[in-house]
Amino acid sequence: MKVLDIIHDANSNLWRNKIRSILTILAIFVGSFTIILNSAINAGVNDWMNKQIENMGGDGYLEMMPTEAYDTMASMLSGNSPQEYTEDKDDANASMYIKDEQIEAAKKIDGIKVFNALPNATADYITSSRTDKRYRININLVVEGINFDMSNGVSPNTAKDAPYEIAINEDMAKALGYENVSEIVGETVQIAVPSDLKCRTSAVKRSDCQTILDVKVSGTQAPGILSMGGSRVNLSFWTHANEINYEGYAPELNRSSQATADVDPEKIDSVKAELEKIGLKAMSVDDEVGMFKVFFDAILIVFNIFGGIALVAASIGIINTLFMSVQERTKEIGLDKALGMSNGKVFASFSCEAILLGFWGSAVGVVVSMIIGNIVNGIARETFLADFPTFTLTIFEPLTMITIVAIIMFIAFLAGTLPARKASKKNPIDALRYE
Amino acid sequence: MTTSSLLSTRNLKKVYGKRDTKFEALRGLNLEINAGESVAIVGKSGSGKSTLMHLLALLDKPTSGEITLNGRSTSKLKNRKLNRLRNKEFGFVFQSFFMNANDSVLNNVILPLKIAGISRRERRRRAMEALKVVELDDKAKNKAKDLSGGQKQRVCIARAIVNNPKVIFADEPTGNLDSATGDKIEKLLFDLNKEKGITLIIVTHDEELAAKCKRQIRIADGEIVEDAKTKKGAKK
Repeated sequence: MKVLDIIHDANSNLWRNKIRSILTILAIFVGSFTIILNSAINAGVNDWMNKQIENMGGDGYLEMMPTEAYDTMASMLSGNSPQEYTEDKDDANASMYIKDEQIEAAKKIDGIKVFNALPNATADYITSSRTDKRYRININLVVEGINFDMSNGVSPNTAKDAPYEIAINEDMAKALGYENVSEIVGETVQIAVPSDLKCRTSAVKRSDCQTILDVKVSGTQAPGILSMGGSRVNLSFWTHANEINYEGYAPELNRSSQATADVDPEKIDSVKAELEKIGLKAMSVDDEVGMFKVFFDAILIVFNIFGGIALVAASIGIINTLFMSVQERTKEIGLDKALGMSNGKVFASFSCEAILLGFWGSAVGVVVSMIIGNIVNGIARETFLADFPTFTLTIFEPLTMITIVAIIMFIAFLAGTLPARKASKKNPIDALRYE
Repeated sequence: MTTSSLLSTRNLKKVYGKRDTKFEALRGLNLEINAGESVAIVGKSGSGKSTLMHLLALLDKPTSGEITLNGRSTSKLKNRKLNRLRNKEFGFVFQSFFMNANDSVLNNVILPLKIAGISRRERRRRAMEALKVVELDDKAKNKAKDLSGGQKQRVCIARAIVNNPKVIFADEPTGNLDSATGDKIEKLLFDLNKEKGITLIIVTHDEELAAKCKRQIRIADGEIVEDAKTKKGAKK
């Protein structure tokens, strides 16, 4: 008997008792629908997180601070008891900043492509010709060698003597009067940079100690949880802002409390370990995303367990349906065997029926969850995800869908082995005597 | 005679159950059936005639003894080979038809060919040929359950001959039919025996039908009590 004939017959046998088969398929559908929708949401969240990671500079981007500073901060954040001061170890000032020997040691670590430990720079506000309002701004440095994901335009020029450039957050662009954010690309905005010493001493008004710099907008970045509303400036602006900030201070006070590095993504773990040894606590974007991800994964696991339980129940349904089928078709099986059908073929034909039940159940699951997923996507985009334009809640990856369908078909096959075995063991004589 | 022997048995025994419930259905049968014969196996119910047919048709294995088909012993054959032999060499006609009622007449006739793995086009052609023999080719598309009893048995005969078998085993082929339709079925079977040389082995307790066969093997309590040949042969 040919394989195609077995499949064809199994399919027509399946539809002989329509209601029973449809109910079984429905049971499989419930389980597969849950799992498929879960995996689509998982894919959507992962995709979005990857976009965030790209936004932050990609897999190889590391941010560092001195371990002591990190521990102090972490103990405060996590609500642990205050840490005791020890005179020989703690130097509040020194432990806050990255030391020159740390920079030298870090640059030698295998896997670090670019290491930046530039002194800090701050700005007071940003404004544009389209608005009278001034907005607080938190500036970050665009690190050389790292490509940020831009929604419009390009990443700022990182050359040492390049003109001042900024990659601006989309929300900021809107606030600055560019409702259509793409229009801001190529425009010039004004950023006020304070001179700290002057502000603390001679200035009467804050504006007396601010320097207003013209900065060209090279591009825009989509908002996300990780960029925290920050905008990114290029090296030449940063350097100049730092000079203005520390004007009049002793050079040893103008040091960095944070460093960034572009690292070979493959070596990121070993690099982190090496940095730890020289007293630098490094965080990758993954680490930062990790917290959110762990929480989210836990929810998905719970839902997948529900889906799994539904599938177990559905498997029992398959077993039941096929046992009934074997019982009803005793004579038929007997005839088939009398006419020369082998036990293996009888087994295959019932197994095939089980697999088809699994196929239909999961295929309907794929179709229905795709329809519902797309409807939910549409609603989400208008409502709770309106602020996250790059977040697609459910993504249906063909390979994942095929894998899930294949797994469910396999589960159905396993469930079908019991009744299929019973059918294949039937003695043709007893079966033919059966009235 | 032995040269043309198609089916033969040597000291064939079949025992059901164990110890207290032990029941000897066949007690050492020796039998030879030649190609082209028409044989009636006659006996009361419980005599062992059905058991004998099942063993001859290779549907069951004897407790001891030997069945030889075409001069070759069948006791050492693997299941796969036995399945193939039944599929290729034998045709079956049962008292209660055994058809897939919801399937078409054509698909019912096709079944042995489908099991044999013959291509769609070829099995369709051969099934139509077989249906022509039983004069039901115009009913090929009908559902099997819509046929009359006689028509059903004719479809079963078509199914039995579709693979050009050497032997047709018929278990009370007319048992469920009135005498007029029964006669038609009998004629069909004997014609196949005469014209195509298909060996006919009919299990029956109907003496009239048995008399139409060229040979009657009478079984009682698991033993052959009479093995007679009809001189005149079957009447049309």
